Amino acid sequence: MNTTQGAATGPVRPATPVRVVIVDDHAIFRSGLKADLDPSIHVVGEAATVEQAIAVIARERPEVVLLDVHLPGGLGGGGREVIAGSASLLSSTRFLALSVSDAAEDVVAVIRAGARGYVTKTISGKEITDAVYRVAGGDAVFSPRLAGFVLDAFGTAPADIADDELDRLSARELEVMRLIARGYSYKEVAKELFISIKTVETHVSAVLRKLQLSSRHELTKWAAERRLL
Amino acid sequence: MTTAPIRPPLVRRSDRFIAGVCSGLAAHLGWPVRNVRVGMALATLAGGAGIVFYAWLWIMVPTADESARRQARRPTSPIAPAVSQAPVQAAVRSDVRGWAPGRVPAAGPGMPTSVMPGAGTYPPGPEDPAYAAPGDFAGTTAAAARPPWFQFREMRYGKEILLGAGLLLVAGILIAQILGVDVPLGTLIPAAAVLGGASIAWIQLDETRRAGLVDKTKADQAGGWARLAAGLALVVAGVLVMVSGSGSWEQTWLALLASVAVLGGVVLVLLPWALKFWRDLEAERAGRIRETERAEIAAHLHDSVLQTLALIQRRASNEHDVVRLARAQERELRGWLFADPEKDAGQLSDRIKAVAAEVEDLLGNAVEVVSVGDTAVTEGHEALIQASREAMLNASRHGGGTVSVYLEVSGGRAEIFIKDRGPGFELQHVPEDRLGVRESIIGRMNRHGGTATITSTTDGTEVRLGYPAAAQAEKPSQSTEGKA
Repeated sequence: MNTTQGAATGPVRPATPVRVVIVDDHAIFRSGLKADLDPSIHVVGEAATVEQAIAVIARERPEVVLLDVHLPGGLGGGGREVIAGSASLLSSTRFLALSVSDAAEDVVAVIRAGARGYVTKTISGKEITDAVYRVAGGDAVFSPRLAGFVLDAFGTAPADIADDELDRLSARELEVMRLIARGYSYKEVAKELFISIKTVETHVSAVLRKLQLSSRHELTKWAAERRLL
Repeated sequence: MTTAPIRPPLVRRSDRFIAGVCSGLAAHLGWPVRNVRVGMALATLAGGAGIVFYAWLWIMVPTADESARRQARRPTSPIAPAVSQAPVQAAVRSDVRGWAPGRVPAAGPGMPTSVMPGAGTYPPGPEDPAYAAPGDFAGTTAAAARPPWFQFREMRYGKEILLGAGLLLVAGILIAQILGVDVPLGTLIPAAAVLGGASIAWIQLDETRRAGLVDKTKADQAGGWARLAAGLALVVAGVLVMVSGSGSWEQTWLALLASVAVLGGVVLVLLPWALKFWRDLEAERAGRIRETERAEIAAHLHDSVLQTLALIQRRASNEHDVVRLARAQERELRGWLFADPEKDAGQLSDRIKAVAAEVEDLLGNAVEVVSVGDTAVTEGHEALIQASREAMLNASRHGGGTVSVYLEVSGGRAEIFIKDRGPGFELQHVPEDRLGVRESIIGRMNRHGGTATITSTTDGTEVRLGYPAAAQAEKPSQSTEGKA
């Protein structure tokens, strides 16, 4: 999935600049984000509504889309709808969800639609740059809060053998999620668990897959019930 | 039900055969339900009086739900004191119905006679026959002196008095007829039907208006339509009988047909206007609701966000203050927008978040809380909360950046991790007189049967606090480690 060699500091940056489209309905936020991003990241397009976003993404075919969860236009589905509308590009274009809402319902919905990660809009320029590279490399970006959502939704008990593999996290995945929820970076998680960063990334990607594919109806129910997080 | 000195209000109850009248009446009078039902059945044999009485109560007595709603809507009634019989009884009743006791006036001289003359100074109590405990048949005399319909009428106000007067009038007419007086029934009955139908329809209109189009449920609407239809049917029937009295049935039918045709034409012409009027009304209502909401939001934003923005502009030179203000405002706004009113307040996660907010306000560094699971706060948790507060303060003060707090409650066991990215420290290098870590965190947790672990590296410090589920909170253990 990933071609990095397990570098010590954050995700490896490819030689060519990463092409990014920013989708957010606030022009101020878009320009602020653009200024914050590392110069090695090329913002090739911007969009403010669902329709614009789908059109721009289809035209530019960026590697990463920074996608606001709440967007006007379309059928009211926001970021989820943009991902659904760009479904044919999902193999080459990765989506990173940005949100101020922090509501589990929104975040889980956009992740399940296919986003590779979720970060809050208060994230610093360096962190968002790292996140973009990580997503571009095919990995998942989990904030402490998203890890908390996952632990809450899947439960904190490790999987039984009888359980459907998709419905529970393995003991190791739980450990990784707990550490991320405690504010550990991938690097710190690797150090704490005596594993490589690559392995941490693999575990996180596995959790993301479970989050996206699990058919547990509790997951949706949980997200709907939990309004503020 | 055996000792209560106050009669429960007369309402139709949910444990019903037909409409809950008998059980409601039984509860009100304190009689066994079966007796009331048998009595009602016997009365039915006496010329159908039972059925009439039952139907009357059915129509006039609200269900328990309706009664509660009505009282919520109209906490006081200006009519009520005027029809109350005796001050004491009124006072007692007013307590039942939730009125302010001070509002009860003395009984006027023209009022119906009271069972207890001069009862104004008489303290209400079980010894008063008028308050004979329901179910206690010492109350038979009181019940005999004050038949149920009498009590019933005095509880329900002007409308009922009118109805009672009407019924008395009917009774008087019937008696007069039996005594041989020639009463023009052929004219009176249709006229009465028209009057009755019209008043039923008007009462309906009045109630709709009174409800203020606010909490109209479907059931209410259905009942309203039924009443309106009944009123209309009565009026039409009355008019028909009146008209047909002067001619043959064929003529009446023709006239009816013509009237219906004319009415149909009028409806056809007026319908578009009526619909437009209705839609305008609906639109205006929706607009008013939106306006109210907007005003509420504007008021809140004015009190919170605008004030904060003004403060931020004045402190624009101080980045620290700006961040702190913005975070505090964000917290407040989030709480207002997303807080779930049905969620139990005072859970452990709420307390930890409140402590985090306090530390954030105090020192200006962000404190991010992630929580998984939750539990009610017990006495032992207070130590955990205080210790985590101390740890957050230390992390914010010495770490100098964002503090990550993770709370996990699983199977009753609570664990809190407080992590910062400061330069770290070694516990043995902390001077003996500095009590923050040693006493407020480790000592406190151990005293209350919890655990505290501090891991500090050059990349930051993490404090782990654990508190067992309430059942096994007796085995304290201590472990501190300091990695270089």
